[in-house]
Amino acid sequence: MTDTDPLVRFSGVRKTYGTFEAVKHLDLDIGRGEFVAIMGPSGCGKTTTLRMLAGLEEPTAGEITIDGKRMNEVSAHDRDTPLVWQSLALFPFLNVKENVEFGLKMRGVSKPDRHGRAMLWLERLGLKGFETRRIDQLSGGQRQRVALARSLVTEPRMLLLDEPLSALDAHLVIRMQGVLTRLQKELGITFVYVTHSQSEAFAMADRVVIMGHGEIAQIGKPQEIFRAPKNRFVAEFVGRNNILPGKTPGQEIVVAADRMQVSASDPGEGALPAEFLSEEFAGTGIICYFEGPEGVELKAQVTEDQLENLAPEPGQRFWLTWAPGAAHVMAGT
Amino acid sequence: MSKRFDAYPYVWRLPLLIWQGLFFVGPLILMVAMSFWLVRNYRMEPDFVLKNWDRMLGRDYFWNAYWVTLWRATLAGVLASLIAFPASYALAFRVSETTRRWAIFFLIVPFFTSYLVRVYAWQVLLAESGPINAVLGFGGLGPFTMLNSGFGAMVGYMTLVLPLVVILQTFSLAAIDRNLIEAAWNLGASPRETLFQVILPAARIGLILGATFAFILSFGDFVSPFYLGGSKPPTLSILIIDTTKSGQQWPRAAVVAIMMIATLFVAAFAAVGAAYGRRK
Amino acid sequence: MRPSDIAFRLYLVALFTFVFLPILTSMVFSLNSDRFPTVPLGEFTTHWYKTAFSRPEVWTAFGNSLIVAVCAAALSTALGFVTAYTDFRYGFRFKPAYLALALLPPTIPLVIMGLAMLAWLGRLGISGTLSGIVVAHTVMGAPFAMAICRLRLSQMDPALEAAAWNLGASQWRAMRAVVIPFCLPALISAYCLTAAVSFDEFIVAWFVSGLNKTVPVMILEILQGNVDPQINAIGTVVFLTSMALVIVAQLLILRKTNA
Repeated sequence: MTDTDPLVRFSGVRKTYGTFEAVKHLDLDIGRGEFVAIMGPSGCGKTTTLRMLAGLEEPTAGEITIDGKRMNEVSAHDRDTPLVWQSLALFPFLNVKENVEFGLKMRGVSKPDRHGRAMLWLERLGLKGFETRRIDQLSGGQRQRVALARSLVTEPRMLLLDEPLSALDAHLVIRMQGVLTRLQKELGITFVYVTHSQSEAFAMADRVVIMGHGEIAQIGKPQEIFRAPKNRFVAEFVGRNNILPGKTPGQEIVVAADRMQVSASDPGEGALPAEFLSEEFAGTGIICYFEGPEGVELKAQVTEDQLENLAPEPGQRFWLTWAPGAAHVMAGT
Repeated sequence: MSKRFDAYPYVWRLPLLIWQGLFFVGPLILMVAMSFWLVRNYRMEPDFVLKNWDRMLGRDYFWNAYWVTLWRATLAGVLASLIAFPASYALAFRVSETTRRWAIFFLIVPFFTSYLVRVYAWQVLLAESGPINAVLGFGGLGPFTMLNSGFGAMVGYMTLVLPLVVILQTFSLAAIDRNLIEAAWNLGASPRETLFQVILPAARIGLILGATFAFILSFGDFVSPFYLGGSKPPTLSILIIDTTKSGQQWPRAAVVAIMMIATLFVAAFAAVGAAYGRRK
Repeated sequence: MRPSDIAFRLYLVALFTFVFLPILTSMVFSLNSDRFPTVPLGEFTTHWYKTAFSRPEVWTAFGNSLIVAVCAAALSTALGFVTAYTDFRYGFRFKPAYLALALLPPTIPLVIMGLAMLAWLGRLGISGTLSGIVVAHTVMGAPFAMAICRLRLSQMDPALEAAAWNLGASQWRAMRAVVIPFCLPALISAYCLTAAVSFDEFIVAWFVSGLNKTVPVMILEILQGNVDPQINAIGTVVFLTSMALVIVAQLLILRKTNA
């Protein structure tokens, strides 16, 4: 076993519930110290994948190995794969410190040792002074950190996170993203992070796995996935992409909304005529929606100044253009 | 590699099957079997004869008791529903949620609190020279004979079932979407029309459930018809007790019991059909 | 306030008066000197309590009731909890039949339960013993315990148990460290309520008790004689006991749940 071998390997993993195929076929390696985000719409199999890794579900077929060791038959409680739950699943009848100590207690760690390690992690996550608080006396962000401390106190080699930030307010999400990336770098352990939120995945992960219909749709660095979606499913899921017919039949190209230029007069060759529909204020700019040839919906991101200059009216005709380098040709469908 | 047998689920599943099988299903099956047994020299002997059924179902006093019980229980179900409804309506729509919660709280208490002693209290209260007749006497009324009559039995039944009926009705009324009622007003329905066209249909399941429970409890009750109703005419439960306790005729009592369970089954199915069936 | 609101409130007061009148009068009459109480009341007296509680058989009956209630409540609560947990955690074939078996007993008239139990327990040789009453009361109490525990479990995040496994607890350990602590208020509540059910039940107990009478069975037998205000005294003690149990049971489940 060397450090370059993957920590986790899914090979040909399938999971069915009755006739429903939650995961169809999964081959995936996760490296040591890597921050991997598994992303996809609900029902794509991402949570099932995570639960199989934690031993909460058993694969119907295929094999999961950790450190080269087959894990399929290992029960959840014999694995070292702590999970941060979407609901956090903190024990409401225990106080903060007792929650953090839980995993150590189950592993038979002595009381003084438990206390020391729990206090260390509480301090590390800025929860000093909260040891004896009840869970319902904590804020959302504090609970989040208790859940992290509870999972990390056993010093695992990997941490699983199932949409852990979905219940938080927007401003806390950004803060917790910082906490998580910093922790992951400091500890050097593997994070497997399941989310449906692009911004979370792209902001934190080294590598993003996009899943759809129980299969992997694309694996890559965030930038790669954003700029070069492999197929229509990824392009649509990532959003703010224009999917256009390519030069040869059956081929499709994709142009990101922020690379689309809008002009009020026909600039000539290659420009797409489109009728203005509406605009939407998004945090980073304004997205204008158009109806292009054959009813295709087109998006272009503009600045506020640009919008003022264009002063679009619904139904008004514009022309959309893009730089040759901005278009990405998709491989499959 | 196959998984080891996991005993865990069975430890939680089996106790009920064993206990209820042994002490609930077992006794009921024995009772059915017993109805075909014979009593000789004050001892039951296993047999398979229809004599007990003949003897019970061929007698007028059984059928008199049957119709009296059925009639009284039906009346109790209807009366309890009617008496409870204004109270449930008030609790669901006219008081604060806190008041409603406390009202339910205090209605649950008597449901689990010695029915027998409460019936005894009614026996004292309703007596010829009791407090109620005394109070009425100040107004120049009475005295009325209230004990040992259908009225007395009905007071007892109401004591038994009213709290439960109010609770069930209140829950079903309070669960109605307020928008539904407001929409009815908004569309010009009068309060009366709203009640009959919107509220009653929407709360149908709870209302039927309440009436059904009132029927079931009254149908099987022995205390009210005995101590307040004067046991004349006897109800089926009084018949069972008389047959068991004095006559030692358990098999015949079993026949009465089976007839009662059959009736309750029919009533329960009819109620479920009325509650969940499609409206015409 | 609308006039109709006042009418509704008066109606509520009337209904609650009807429901609580027998309980209150029983308490008042237990302290009243008249043998046949009426209005106006007689003098204040503790005579009936003194008479009732100077009889050794009253104490025996209370002792019997206590033993039966303590045991039947423990068994009902255990049975109710394991059944509620099964319903919460597992789906399996015949589950509707399983649940029917769990919840049906309260719909069977007590007189019939009494007759069936009398015959069955006689065959098992425990008719006329306190164990017989315990068995019968457990059958009748378990559905209530099951309902209370099920309600509590439905407030539990299903991830909670899985979180315990994930942190290294076996299923058994997770049950002890997570599920039971979470359900503790409901377990105590179920215990109190089923104790009250047992403490108040007299028909089945009457059929199967033989010479080992519980308090309500004794009341039933006194009632078959004459009007006797001792019943009010004993009844008041029974009321206060079962009301206390039911109130504690309710407060425990209504208490702000920090789930």
